[in-house]
Parts: sequence; C-alpha cells; structure tokens
Amino acid sequence: MKILTYIILVVAFVFGGQTAQAQCTPTESVKTCIPKLAGGFHFLKSYEINGRGGRLDKVEYSYPFAKGTQYMVNLCSADGEHKGLVVTLYDAARKQLATSVVNGQQYSAIVFNCQATGIYYITYTFDNSTSYCGGSALGFKR
Amino acid sequence: MKNYLPFLLLTAVFSLVSCGSDKKEEADAFMSELDDGLETPAISEETINDILMQIPAPLEISMLMRESGSDYDRTILSNPDKVANYNTQFKQAINLGIYGTDLIYTNIFGKNQEGLAYMKSVKKLADELNIGQFFNLRLIGRLATNNDNLDSIMLITTQNFNEINRYLQEKKRANLSILFLVGGWMEAVHINCKMAIENPEVPALAERIGEQKIILENILLLMSFYAETSPEIKDLHTDMLKLKEAYDKIEITYTYAEPTTQVVDGVLMIVDNSKSTVHITQDNVKEIDQIIEDIRKKLTL
Repeated sequence: MKILTYIILVVAFVFGGQTAQAQCTPTESVKTCIPKLAGGFHFLKSYEINGRGGRLDKVEYSYPFAKGTQYMVNLCSADGEHKGLVVTLYDAARKQLATSVVNGQQYSAIVFNCQATGIYYITYTFDNSTSYCGGSALGFKR
Repeated sequence: MKNYLPFLLLTAVFSLVSCGSDKKEEADAFMSELDDGLETPAISEETINDILMQIPAPLEISMLMRESGSDYDRTILSNPDKVANYNTQFKQAINLGIYGTDLIYTNIFGKNQEGLAYMKSVKKLADELNIGQFFNLRLIGRLATNNDNLDSIMLITTQNFNEINRYLQEKKRANLSILFLVGGWMEAVHINCKMAIENPEVPALAERIGEQKIILENILLLMSFYAETSPEIKDLHTDMLKLKEAYDKIEITYTYAEPTTQVVDGVLMIVDNSKSTVHITQDNVKEIDQIIEDIRKKLTL
C-alpha cells in the first residue's frame, strides 16, 4: 500500500507539473489564423500570444511597415474565435493608431493602410480572457 | 535504506523521463555553441529576438518588383550550383538567406522550375545546419509544376523560413538566425537595387531601398552583439558599416497625423494619415548597389 501511495505521489508530482506548463499552445491558434487572412493578403509573420495564465498583461511584437502597403493583423483565441484578445497598433513614437475594439465591439482583425514607413508595435492584450492564450497572423497587400 | 532503494530509483527514472527533452535541448544548444565557437553576447535573448522580428520578410521587399513591371533577370541571382562551396556555418547560414530570397524572387515571377534549383540548394544548406526538417522538397516540387499554385508555394516558403527562425532562437542559435536574416535581407536589397537602376522611372523602387535605412540600423545593432566573439561576423559588420555611410546620406522624414477608422464590410479599416518621405537619388541607389555587390562577392565565393 505504501508503495502504491508513493507511486501515485511521484506520478502526480512529475506529470502534474507538465500539465500546468502545457496549458497554452499558441502554435495551434497561429495555424488557425494564417488561412484566415483575407483574400489578396500575403502571409508575412505569425505571432504567438501567451499571457502565461494572466501573469502577463500584454504580449508585444514589432515590425517595419512600408508606405503604400496594407497590413492585416488577425486574432485567434484559445477561448474560441477571437474572444478575449485585443490587438492595438502603435507607431515608433508609441502613439496609438488602431485597436480592434471600437465602441465596445471587438473585431477579429484590423487592416492598416500604412502611409508612413517605420517600426510599428503590435500589442496584444486580454479582455475577459480565460485562457490568456492565442495566435495572430500578419499579412500584407499592396 | 534498503527498503527505500526501489522508491529512490523510481523517482530518479520519473525525473529523467520528465526532464529528458529539456536536457536534450540544453545539450543541443551547448553543442551548437561549441560548434560556432561563440560566446553568448552580453545582451538578453529577448532583446535579440525582438530586434530579429523587425527584419522584414524578403517577400515583402520583392513583391514591389513584379508590381513595378520589372522583368525577371536570373543573372542577378546567386548561382545555386555553388552550394558545395559553403562549408562553414557562417557561409551556410548567410547563403541560406541569400538563396531563400532568390527562391522567393523566382516564385514571385512564376519561374517555378528555376525555383526548384534554389529549393534544392536551400534544403542542402538547411540539412548542413540541422534544420532541414522544415523543408518538404517533394511537396514544393509537386506544387511547382503548376503556376496556379504560386500563392501556396510562397505561403509554404514564408512559413518554413519563419519556423526556421523560431527554431534557431529557441535552440539558442540566434547568431545563425541573424546571419540567415541578414543574408536574405541583403539579397532582397541587392535585387531591388538592380531593378531600381534598370527602371529609374519607378520611384517606388528607389524609395523601398531608402526605407531600408531603418532596418540597417537594427541589423548593425544585432551584429555588434556578436562582432566581439566571431571574427567572421566582425568582418561582415565592418563591411556593413560602409553601407551605413551610404545610407547616412538618405533622409527619411515623418509627420504624424491622427488616423481615421471605418468599418468596411464588417472589417475594421484604419487609414493612416501620417506621412513619410524618403529622400533618395539614383546616385544613392548606385552607391548602395556597389557596396552590396562588393559584400555579396565575399559572401558567395
């Protein structure tokens, strides 16, 4: 009986830790997001969004946008569709240019018609998210 | 003690099972660092990865060429048959980037069969760098038989290169990722320069070259982290500083204006009202072209 209890404890300890670490798999959300880019947009980059169970309040990436190019950033949440995820775009001076929440309505993607070349920040935040987990794809069209 | 021995052994076995993959990754990273003869730079991995993410995909730089009406010119590309000459990790990584851009260039112009020669060279270099698992030559070969599959080929190629970058960064081989991205970026600027010289009536081509000033600054910063520990990266960094001198003559101005947001067919569209202007002349383009030509010659020997 002692042996059985010990084995159960060891298994729970070893594999329990692994389960906790494996909760967020943004690669799956990324795979969902890439084909969801609208027609005419060429896939450029994919971004993993892992809020580490709520320990991170944002996940941020940056990318150089070019003048005369349209960029689409979409959202795929582990909660389903784009639930609980918000994307906000900032210019190099950190001025907010766009967000996927307008008048309380959450959109699954934003299209930014860039007229000024520079580094832009793509920031993902969470709004009533349960998974704090998802993926996103960036596409471009000229 | 005798009674506890089986329990201790059991615990040890479970611990090894649970930690096995992490240990293997650490061992791989350690071995690759030994192979490269590089020390880890005194900068956080996160910072390096952030800057790496800012290097644009060659596809985006190259797409303008087809739209500008430029003709396909295979003579400006690197020779795919020279792949056997690249026998150091430095050369392999940088030429993987160069061939990758050439592959995308052939894709953009629908030269799928020529693209296959580049795909084979890309695969060979990737295999040498132990990242060959990201390329499915059979699938690309099948797609390449039909020009209707152009978008699929470009999508797969871009995905493969993104996965390579992510993998190299995860395996703590960011130095190779930098070389791979720099090679790809430089080849895209090289091709763009040739197109801009050939088509001076299309100012967008020259502007696109000028815009790369922002990227070059980041590339130089990244390379400076490794220049102290790798003689090859140091040499390349020194050469790239000549490119910076040429780029210093180019001015980019930026004026901010509040963007406007509208919903079109259920899609949230943001119209940027800011403006940027690139001040670049044909002489600037020719100077950049010559410097890149010189650097490229050394890298593709």
